[in-house]
Amino acid sequence: MVESPLAGKPKKSESAKRLSAMIAEDYMTLHQRASNGAFVVWIAIVVPAELFAGFDDVVYAVPESHAAMSAGKGVGALQCAKAEQAGYSADLCSYARIDIGTVLDGGRDSPSFGLPRPHLLVSNNNNCSLLVKWFDIYHRMWGTPHFVLDIPFCYEEQNGLNFSYIRDQFKDLISTIERLSGQRFREEKAAQAVSLSAEALKEWKRFIGLASHRPSPITAFDSFVHMAPILTSRGTRRLVEHYRMLADETESLEADGVYPVPGERYRLLWDNIAPWHQLRKMSSRLAGLGANITTASYTYCIGSLEGSIDAYPFDGTDPLAWLARLQNFSVCPQGLDLRLRAMQRAIERNGIDGVIFASNRSCKVYSVMQMDQMRHVRDTLGVPAIMIDVDHADERKYSEEAAFVRIEALLETIDARRSSGRPPTA
Amino acid sequence: MGDILETLKRYRAEGSRLVGCFPLYGPLELFHSFGLTPVVLWGLGDGRGYYPASDAHVQGYACSVARALTGFVIEHGTALFDALFMYNACDTLRNLPEILSRALDSRGGHIPMFRLHLPAIPLDRAHAARYLEERLRGLVKALEEFTGRSFSGDAFMASATLYERRRSLCRGVMDLRARGGIPSARAARIIELGNHVEVAEHIAGLEEVVGSCSGLPGDARGVRVMAGGIQAPPLELLDAMDSSNLVTVADDFATMARTHLASVSPRPDPHSYYTELYLHHPPCSTLLPSADARLGHLVSRAKASGARGFILFGEKFCEYEYFEAPQLLAAMEREGVRTLFLEIAPEDRENLAQHVTRIEAFAEMLQDGSTGG
Repeated sequence: MVESPLAGKPKKSESAKRLSAMIAEDYMTLHQRASNGAFVVWIAIVVPAELFAGFDDVVYAVPESHAAMSAGKGVGALQCAKAEQAGYSADLCSYARIDIGTVLDGGRDSPSFGLPRPHLLVSNNNNCSLLVKWFDIYHRMWGTPHFVLDIPFCYEEQNGLNFSYIRDQFKDLISTIERLSGQRFREEKAAQAVSLSAEALKEWKRFIGLASHRPSPITAFDSFVHMAPILTSRGTRRLVEHYRMLADETESLEADGVYPVPGERYRLLWDNIAPWHQLRKMSSRLAGLGANITTASYTYCIGSLEGSIDAYPFDGTDPLAWLARLQNFSVCPQGLDLRLRAMQRAIERNGIDGVIFASNRSCKVYSVMQMDQMRHVRDTLGVPAIMIDVDHADERKYSEEAAFVRIEALLETIDARRSSGRPPTA
Repeated sequence: MGDILETLKRYRAEGSRLVGCFPLYGPLELFHSFGLTPVVLWGLGDGRGYYPASDAHVQGYACSVARALTGFVIEHGTALFDALFMYNACDTLRNLPEILSRALDSRGGHIPMFRLHLPAIPLDRAHAARYLEERLRGLVKALEEFTGRSFSGDAFMASATLYERRRSLCRGVMDLRARGGIPSARAARIIELGNHVEVAEHIAGLEEVVGSCSGLPGDARGVRVMAGGIQAPPLELLDAMDSSNLVTVADDFATMARTHLASVSPRPDPHSYYTELYLHHPPCSTLLPSADARLGHLVSRAKASGARGFILFGEKFCEYEYFEAPQLLAAMEREGVRTLFLEIAPEDRENLAQHVTRIEAFAEMLQDGSTGG
């Protein structure tokens, strides 16, 4: 699992301790239930896992999350190399290479001993259509059925046609699991899971909303590590409890004057997937410069409709409708205008001084738009911005010095603007 | 590169209303039936001339197709195109419409953009077919507003007939290539011209080629191979295959066989036509529902054509091709078809000689095998 960068502090926070235990338990439970005969589903991250709670004995695993954890634990490059040795190009997404490498080597070197072999693969194509290609590899390798959710990319807010199309496919997915697992779906159980997810996301938004305070009681690195249980414990009471505890504890620390970057001088926004192999290094080095990446598009999007950063509430009536409406919550399914709309809100609400666009060759869907986004942020919003090269999970493709040369230049630009009397956010 | 630009300028000067379409498998017949001239923004030369305009908008790790079309549209789009069209195929291309719009706006230009979400699940799933029908209906309505014409089933039927004729002739060119009647490079060039040349003009050119090569002997001499990739490689590499005594008996280039092996009987109803076209489309790495069938389809084609080797020209940074490549190559090898994988960036002229050497070595290996060596 990924440890909070706060773990390097003299005292590990209670929520960080709970996070470690929770993730370990999630993976252990997954393996145990799978070995006891549960129906195992592998999913892409935005597949609505709450649906699986509608069945008595269906468990799910998220290869992307496992890959992130592997990178955070320092075995990303090792697993990537295994996939490359099997002929998979080093230009492929590093999450995919980690996962393929892990599978090909039978789970060796994985922090969780890999994932239990699935009975069903479920991908979708809006967050990243390459998940379809990635899961197809296992479909061909094992003969495991592969169910694809076709979620139209959104250049505007989701329309009725797309909503109905998505919702119909959820029903298809449910029927498929019923047929393959022999289990019956009960909507009231899924509704309960959706209700808990919505409650947990409300607490999540309370936590990341603290980034609007000056100084900020959180860093984006905290939000990176604490997003893990959204992927492993979705739709559970313990997820609600975790985020409530996280938000409460952070508020309490703030009341006591405890801040992750005590001398915070620069408030930054990070755009792209977390650099899992650099969390502690990067956060520590930034803190030494008085810089705090308080905000990240990767985490403020969670639980929000396209173009928004606020929580989308569940009215308790139709769980499939809530899940269908929220299918574009991640950044990647959204067009440029929608991404910018959400980013502008985050910049204004959180008093951002500068934006770091992490150009990530492992994630073209996130990155191919950033040059125009950066231009807009600089020229229209008047906020300094830079672009650095990052790979989210393959540290061989990251140069710390090259990145920090640009980050330091960004901080100097912010200083220059301040000394010239221009406001930090125009 | 210059030829493409000059061709499109000529059409424009002659009064054609051009629609720049990407990626490869858009509903070209539908645009044509409205009196528009659809051209496919693919294979825009080696792209180098267009990269400077693209580099301000798209990172260098995007594929050459995306970079070249971005630069081309920014440089020439306003002067050439009445509209642009795109459908969902890959994650890079789906990000381009707004990038292009902003870039054109910043230059004081604007081009209307049509979009279509092509279901990425099999069209025999009822709601997928319904969804496509709704999206096509929306596209027809948008085209009616754009052109001021009403949709005509007869006009669509006539356009579909032309495109089916073109596909048939392209298959004829491929057959000629397999029999040694036309060099691989010339076959690729004449077929890929169809991306940018108006369909009737393309048909005339294809008919001339096919007619001039009729009456050829049954089989070419040489080692039979199959070649594939997202687009045909630089022509020098196809020449190298021919001069190494390799006979391209089948291909899996997206711009060639994947486009033209499709065969749909013309009809006045676009929904029925496109449902059949996409449902039975030759498998392509970018058409997600076809992935299941792709490996088996290619291995079968290789075996049926007697190919003893398969050369995959991997387009640099095309993850759709690269995710499938290891299993595809392994499947070929299991069936006794030897494989060669070459990573190609069309703008990379410096490594052509290395690729030629590898093709020659591959040919020698196959020839040794054929003589028991």
